[in-house]
Amino acid sequence: MKSVLVIGGGIAGIQSSLDLANRGYHIYLVEREPSIGGHMALLDKTFPTNDCSMCILAPKMNECNAHPNIDILSYSEVMDLSGNAGDFTARVQRKARYINEEKCTGCGDCTAKCPSKVPNEYNGNLDKRKSIFLPYPQAVPRVMTIDREHCIYLTKGKCGNCKKVCNAGAVDYEQKDTFVDLNVAAVIVATGFDMFDPTHMQEYGYGKYANVITAMEYERMICASGPTGGHLETAPDKEHPGKIAFIQCVGSRDLQHNPYCCSVCCMHAIKESILAREHYEDIKPYIFYTDLRAVGKGFEEYAVRGEKEYGIKYIRGRPGQITEDASTKTLTVWYDDTVNRKVKGLEVDMAVLCTSLIPAKGSDKLAAILDIELDEYGLYKSRDELTAPLDTRRPGVFIAGYCQSPKDIPESVAQGSGAAARATEVAGGAYI
Amino acid sequence: MKQIIKRTKAYYCVECGKCSGSCPVARVNEGFSPRVIVERALSGMKGEIEGDRELWTCLTCEACTTKCPSTVKFSEFIRGMRSSAFNSGYTSRCSQGGLLHSIQRVQSYRDIVQNRLQWISDDLKTSTEGEVLYFTGCLPYFENLFSGFVNPLEIARSTVKILNKAGISPVVSPNERCCGHDLLWTGNVETFQKLARLNIEMIKESGASRIVTSCPECLRTLKLDYADFFEGTDIEIVHISEFISSLIKNNDIKLNRAGIMTYQDPCRLGRHMGIYDAPREVIKSMGELVEMNKNREESSCCGVSAWATCEGNSKLMQIERLIEAKSTGADMLVTSCPKCLIHFRCAVHNQIPVEKEKVDIPVVDLTVAACRALAGE
Repeated sequence: MKSVLVIGGGIAGIQSSLDLANRGYHIYLVEREPSIGGHMALLDKTFPTNDCSMCILAPKMNECNAHPNIDILSYSEVMDLSGNAGDFTARVQRKARYINEEKCTGCGDCTAKCPSKVPNEYNGNLDKRKSIFLPYPQAVPRVMTIDREHCIYLTKGKCGNCKKVCNAGAVDYEQKDTFVDLNVAAVIVATGFDMFDPTHMQEYGYGKYANVITAMEYERMICASGPTGGHLETAPDKEHPGKIAFIQCVGSRDLQHNPYCCSVCCMHAIKESILAREHYEDIKPYIFYTDLRAVGKGFEEYAVRGEKEYGIKYIRGRPGQITEDASTKTLTVWYDDTVNRKVKGLEVDMAVLCTSLIPAKGSDKLAAILDIELDEYGLYKSRDELTAPLDTRRPGVFIAGYCQSPKDIPESVAQGSGAAARATEVAGGAYI
Repeated sequence: MKQIIKRTKAYYCVECGKCSGSCPVARVNEGFSPRVIVERALSGMKGEIEGDRELWTCLTCEACTTKCPSTVKFSEFIRGMRSSAFNSGYTSRCSQGGLLHSIQRVQSYRDIVQNRLQWISDDLKTSTEGEVLYFTGCLPYFENLFSGFVNPLEIARSTVKILNKAGISPVVSPNERCCGHDLLWTGNVETFQKLARLNIEMIKESGASRIVTSCPECLRTLKLDYADFFEGTDIEIVHISEFISSLIKNNDIKLNRAGIMTYQDPCRLGRHMGIYDAPREVIKSMGELVEMNKNREESSCCGVSAWATCEGNSKLMQIERLIEAKSTGADMLVTSCPKCLIHFRCAVHNQIPVEKEKVDIPVVDLTVAACRALAGE
C-alpha cells in the first residue's frame, strides 16, 4: 500500500486524509498542534446554515483517529523532504509531549491536579488552561500534552503532581523530541491560516479597550462550550451588550497590511450577528462593511435574512477610530456613512474586529523545506492558478485549503478532495 | 489635477470612508469629508474643489493619511489642490493668516533687514559661525502677535540655554527667514521656494553641519520639503526633543522632578515625522507621564494648521482636547510645537463654551519645561 503525507490537520487536510484512506492508501497526517481540527474546531457555528461547527467536524476527526489507514502524528512538524514524486522521504519531528500516547487515556486526573495556569490560546486567551492539557474536550487524539514552557516540573524541577496522580503511568518527563523518516508517494500541504493581530492598528484600540475583541474571541465567547458558556460579556459588569459593532476588513483589503480580501469576514460577521440575536433578543448588531461580499450559494439570502429577521443594520463605511468612555467602558465607533454621506459616531457596548486571515506561521519555512513557492501574499503558489490550482512547482506536492488561497469551509473541503484525487494519480503510478 | 491624483495615488481610493471616519474636522464640521473631496477630484470637478472653502479646512494632520488602506497621500493631495487653487486666485480664510502670511511673504525679499535677535540676552551664548545652527523659526514674530497670552521667545531662550548647557554655542542668524511651511501648505509654492533658497544660502554660509529646530513644522519643512534644495550637502536636522533626550541618555544633563504631565503629539512631529518617543523620554526624566486616551498615532490635532482656517470648529476641537488633557489629572499639558501652545492658550483666552474648571490646565512647551527643570539652575 502506497503512503501519502498530509501536512495540516484542519478541515482540508482531514478531508484529503479520509478520501485517500477510503481509497486504500495509507496516510500520515502530520499536525503541529496537540490535536487535529484546526480553526474549524474553534468556531461555534458555520455559515450560511448555522450548523454546529464541532458537530460536523468531530465525527470526521474521530474517523481519522479510528481509520486503519490513517496514522495521526500530532504535535509534529515536517523538517525535510527528499526524493521525487512517487518516492519521497519525509523527515518528521515528533515534539516531546512528555506523555506516552499509548498509555494515556485522556481521563483528565492530571489536569485537575496541575497547579500551573496559563492563558488558553484555544479560547482566544479569554480564560486559563493548565500546563498539562487537552486543547478542548473533543480533541483528537485524546491524549494530554505538557506545555514545556510553563510546566513547573520541566522548568523548575518541582511539583510532579501529574505523574503522581496518573493511574496509567503515562507521564514521562524524560521524553525527548524524536525524528521519524516516512516513505511517501505524494504530499498534500493544508496548513491553513493564522489570525492577523490587530494590536498595532491603534485606531481600533484592541488590547487597550476592554470591549474591543476579535471575531475569533467572539466565536469562543458565543460558543456554549467556550470560556463564558455562550454568554456575551462586556466590561465592567459582564452584562451582555446592547449594541455590537462588527468591523470588517481589519487588516484586509489594506495596502498597509494585507491587500487581499480574506473572503470570509462578511459572512462570519452576519453569522455572528444572527447568533447574538439568537442568544439575546434585545441585541442590536451593526456591520460596518466595505463591500458586502456574499458570493456563495445561499449567502445573499443569508445576508438579507440577517437584516429582515434579525435586525442587522448594514453600514457601508470602514470606521476610522474607536474611542472609549473610561468610566462606562462603552465605545464610540467613528465612521463615514458613505451611502448617506455623513460622518457620525455610534455608541456601542462591544466592537468585534473581523480581522484578516494570514498565512500560517512558518509557511515560508515549510515552503523552503518542500521546495515550493510562495505568492506575493505569503500563501503557497499554484503551478497554474487556472489549470493546476492544487499543484505546486514540485511534482507530487499538492496544496489545498486556505494556504492556497482565501476561501471558506466548503471550498476547503472541495480542495481537500481535489488534492486527494491528484495525489492518487502519483501514488497510483499514473502521474505525468 | 491629474498629476496631483497620480502623485498622491488618489486613484487607488475605494471610497471605504476610513479617512473621513478618522478625520477630527469631519466630526465637528458636517460639510467636510476627505473622502468626498477625493471623490470629486476623481470625477474631474477641479473648479468645484478649488472654489470650495472646505479645501482650506483640512488640518493636513495626517490622521487619515497614516491609516488609509489604499495608501492615498491625502495631505499631499490637499497641498497640491491648494496650490492649484492659489494659482486660480483663491486663498485661505484665516483672519490671522492674512497678517501672518504677509509677514512670511515679506521675508522672501532678499534685502529686508530683520530685527530678529533682540531676544538674545547676555546670559545666552550664540555664534555667527559654527557646527550647530539653531533655526528659531517664527518665534520672534509670534512674540509680537501673541504675547498677550503666551511667551513664544521663552522657547527660543530655553533652547539656547539647553544647547549652552551641552557646551554648544549655536549659530543664530539675523538673516534667517520663515521656513515657508505655512505658505507651502496654503498653496503659495513660489514664495516658499524663494524662502527656501534664502535659508539654504544662510545655512551654507554659517558652516553648520547640524540644525536644531524647536518647531516641528520647521523640522518637517527643512527635512522633507527642502530635500531637493539641500541636495549634495550632508546636514543633519533634529528636533530639540531628540536633542534633549540624547543629552539625558548620555547623562550630559539632569532634570529635576517637575510634576505630572500629559503630552500633546504635534501632527508634524508625530504623524508627519514619526517622532513619538523622544519627547516622552524627556518628560519621563523630569516627571510622571500620564497619556491622554488619544495619543501617539491617534493623537488629536490642536485644531489649526498653517493659519489656513480658524473658526468655531477649531475652538471645539481645542476645547475637547483640553478637556481630555485635564481629565488625565496631570499638572500640565506639555507640547513640543509653538503653534499647539498658541492655539490651546488662545482657545481659553477668550470666552469658552464650557466651565473653566474643565479646561484650565497649564499648557507648557517641552523645551521650556525642560529648561526650568535643569538641575543646578
